[in-house]
Amino acid sequence: MKLYDQIFNVVKQFRKLFSPGPVTNADVSGSLTAEIFLIVSLVLSAILLRHVNVLLAGIFTLILAIVLIYSIPLIPKFKIEQEDSLEKMLFYAIITLALIAVFMYWGGNLV
Amino acid sequence: MNELIPLMVIVPLMAALLISAFSKFNTVTKIFAFVVAICLPIIPLLSNYGLHYFGGYEPMINDAVKMMYHPAITYSFTFLQQIFIGAVGLLTFLVIFIYLTKYRKVSGPYLFLLFLGTAAVTAMILTDDIFHMFVFFEILALAQVGIVAASSIDYSYEMALKYMVLGSIGSPMMLLGIGFLLALTGSVNVTDIAAAVHNGLVDATSPVFLLSLALIFFGWLYASGLPPFHTIKSGIYSKAEPHGAALLQSFTVISMISIVLIMFRIYASLPIFEVLIVFFSILAMILGVSLALTQTDFRRMIGFLAVGELGFIGLGIGLGTNFSITAGLFQALNEIVITALLFIGFGAIVNATNEVDTRKLGGLLAYHPKVAIMLLIGGLAMAGVPPLSGFQSKLMLVQASLSCGFPEISILAIMVSIATFVVFVKTYYTMFLKPKPNDLELEGKDVPRAMIFAMGVLLIIVILLGIFPDVVTNGISNFVGGIL
Amino acid sequence: MANVQLVILLTSVALVVIGLYSAIFIDNIIKKIIGISFIEEGVNLFIVAIGYKAGGVVPILMPGMDTSWFASNAAYPLPFGLVLTSIVIGASTLAVMLALVMVLYRRYGTLSTKVMLADTSKKEEYDE
Repeated sequence: MKLYDQIFNVVKQFRKLFSPGPVTNADVSGSLTAEIFLIVSLVLSAILLRHVNVLLAGIFTLILAIVLIYSIPLIPKFKIEQEDSLEKMLFYAIITLALIAVFMYWGGNLV
Repeated sequence: MNELIPLMVIVPLMAALLISAFSKFNTVTKIFAFVVAICLPIIPLLSNYGLHYFGGYEPMINDAVKMMYHPAITYSFTFLQQIFIGAVGLLTFLVIFIYLTKYRKVSGPYLFLLFLGTAAVTAMILTDDIFHMFVFFEILALAQVGIVAASSIDYSYEMALKYMVLGSIGSPMMLLGIGFLLALTGSVNVTDIAAAVHNGLVDATSPVFLLSLALIFFGWLYASGLPPFHTIKSGIYSKAEPHGAALLQSFTVISMISIVLIMFRIYASLPIFEVLIVFFSILAMILGVSLALTQTDFRRMIGFLAVGELGFIGLGIGLGTNFSITAGLFQALNEIVITALLFIGFGAIVNATNEVDTRKLGGLLAYHPKVAIMLLIGGLAMAGVPPLSGFQSKLMLVQASLSCGFPEISILAIMVSIATFVVFVKTYYTMFLKPKPNDLELEGKDVPRAMIFAMGVLLIIVILLGIFPDVVTNGISNFVGGIL
Repeated sequence: MANVQLVILLTSVALVVIGLYSAIFIDNIIKKIIGISFIEEGVNLFIVAIGYKAGGVVPILMPGMDTSWFASNAAYPLPFGLVLTSIVIGASTLAVMLALVMVLYRRYGTLSTKVMLADTSKKEEYDE
């Protein structure tokens, strides 16, 4: 139950931060599910690297799993990065544009 | 009757202009809008498959290089275009029907925006000309912004302006990519460009060609609301009127598949293209569903779910086999219908309660049983429960990724489906099953009949597509065989 | 004479880069929109530059011109037609953006993006 309590406290603080109101059981379960889903799905997608190099995939997946599990709770951090302000949206849009363009121009033939 | 092909765009466009010009005659406008809206799904059903050359300029053979050259803007109408234009036409009809019955005095400009958006997506999926597609893509963005700004929800102007500012970064980048392609091939016709690439007239490994892919891809991310645009896309869904949001998500899905099919025809020879699409689709699935799990506003939650489901479409197209692309396009059709059903259904709840926070709702099953049951079936279809239509397309996607040698993607797709199910069950429980809060007033507020009717029509499509998926998938598979 | 096409291309790159810079870093929404229209104009300029032909003629076939001479000397007309359309779209987008800014300015009394277009989900409070 330690993890559940931890998430519960996070959700409570989180609600204070964003939109005040009672924290219901369903909200906590939702955040808990999101947390586990996020970790598992990110680790699972990291396994896709095995099509590039098996050793790289193994090391990367292990490191990612350890980092993710030690940085629980992830969801507040994720949500703050994906809020509705124009600043953050524009920042991520332009970063993505730059990354795609640079990656394609110099690395488009590597795959 | 090939003459009907341009009419699919011209009829809604003319209707939009006429309605906005003569909107002071209320009754005439209502009748006219209703008649045009009925025509929209009927025209694609009556039309024959074929090509339409604007101005009658037939393709010419260039004797020097022995290649076809298309001087005219070309519309190509096949089974794929037929079902998608039919679907968006039907949805436009339902949305306009809901709108006309809801208000006694209709607003001409709002109907103008609805018809303009429909005309724009129809042109986008019909056209074989990449610049023509870009023009209608911009018109579509304006129509979407208008639909959002016209709603009476708080902060809708802010969200519309944010969408517009981000769009003003995304679309010029796409135009720049089109400019690179024009510089490389001297043409904007997709068939010509694809022929030039496949015949080796364009060096497919040159950095300029790769950069054009990067820029058009960025524009596609904006059009389809994949990350990093998933927050704004779900935002505009939640700030539009519910029936408007139902139409907006169909615009998104159709612009997504029309751009990605054009990109696929041009860039399919590059392996990096498929890697990019799969990467962003997986990101969309993970981020969309995990953010949907933490929402308390149920409109925003459906918005994030809609973005997450878009990842499945991209996944099907990114895997690049005939079967997987068929599955992706079938998923696109299902998503148009199912998400529209959910938006209209939850919109009915907003209508009856004036409340969007799930924490303040409860016990609605006793008051609105019809809406509750139809929403339940819609949510199950979205999560992929047999025998509904979402199950068929998701099963096809899982099989496709297994047969391509990516079992991880199959597991991920199943997990995302399960998480979608969790999101839906959680929201359904808090809204319909949990005891009613004391301060929630429900007396004397009813759900409009038009909304029930629209949900019923969409539900019949969901069930029929779930039981007889072959009706659609065989035709799509033939189309995909043509472009591979 | 300097290479005209290269100069035009460099100008368009400069416009796009300045536009992207101002879209991220400038707080005033009007200036941001000016920067965004820089991006659009830069792209338009790039497409015009594609059609440039050194020493070429205007792509209008006048009476008395030799057709083969015309075909080998005329500039490429398609980009000019495309840019015309793209300018019209850019102007309408700009108009809609500025109209929205006008409405929001009346509501907030400021042009700062950080105030006007901040995260609205924080403000939609749980009102008891």
